[in-house]
Amino acid sequence: MTAEQIKETLYNVAGEVLEKLAFIFSFPEEEREPMDYSDAVIARVFFTGPFKGTLTMAVSAEVIPEITGNMLGLEDNNDSTKEQQCDALKELINVICGNLLPVIAGKQTVFNVEAPGIIGADDIAVSGNAPGPPAVAKLDMDDGQCDLVLYIEK
Amino acid sequence: MAINVLIVDDSGVMRAMILKSLNMSGLPLGETHQAANGQEGLDVLNQNWVDLVIADINMPVMNGEEMIESMKQKPETKDIPIVVISTEGSEKRLERLRQKGAAFIHKPFSPELIRDTIRNLLGLGGSDDRGTD
Repeated sequence: MTAEQIKETLYNVAGEVLEKLAFIFSFPEEEREPMDYSDAVIARVFFTGPFKGTLTMAVSAEVIPEITGNMLGLEDNNDSTKEQQCDALKELINVICGNLLPVIAGKQTVFNVEAPGIIGADDIAVSGNAPGPPAVAKLDMDDGQCDLVLYIEK
Repeated sequence: MAINVLIVDDSGVMRAMILKSLNMSGLPLGETHQAANGQEGLDVLNQNWVDLVIADINMPVMNGEEMIESMKQKPETKDIPIVVISTEGSEKRLERLRQKGAAFIHKPFSPELIRDTIRNLLGLGGSDDRGTD
């Protein structure tokens, strides 16, 4: 799969998971600048298998309560706790990563996806041993933005 | 017959989503139990009558596959129907789970898919609410 195809797959999988799991519609905004990570909640997951790497997901802080409220079925989005909001983002990135890897590498492949963690804005640029630039998906939502950064180590 | 359900997932949000789907499903629910990993799930099974286990695969402490293996080795738990709800995409792993008798639902899921999968697994009949009364 080419770098362009991987990026397109990242857009497709992320959009589908956001819609089905968090009931949030998102729209690709390829041309915009990367979002302001200092005003975001960020999760990262490491994976190993035929290739290894990381997927990082940053979501505007103001959208997280809506996402969490939708996933939990809350009547008032502000009723969710910080712990639930972090849990919701970790579940989202876990499902995106779990759906993404078989599309890129094939359904017969076996990957081990580690438990996602919440990271700080300063950690988002860490690329490990990735040989090339990451695949980046930039999505806009009604009240915020979402960036996904996929590093693959060969 | 009320169905006592155990939901095993390390994500509290995902457990809540599954429980919400079950409550919307029209299935005759009895007691619902929750556990955050396979070991906690086995502990719940040791102390409660459970008719259906819904479990994730990737969890800390003890994963879903290990929990199912342990269930299959005990006469009291070996015949409890199991639904695995996971992001797992590997056909190899899915085949292993099928061989252990587990049904599989891929995340993200719809409430209807959970309802229909459980109905089929428990032999409750009908794939939707129409005409089943």
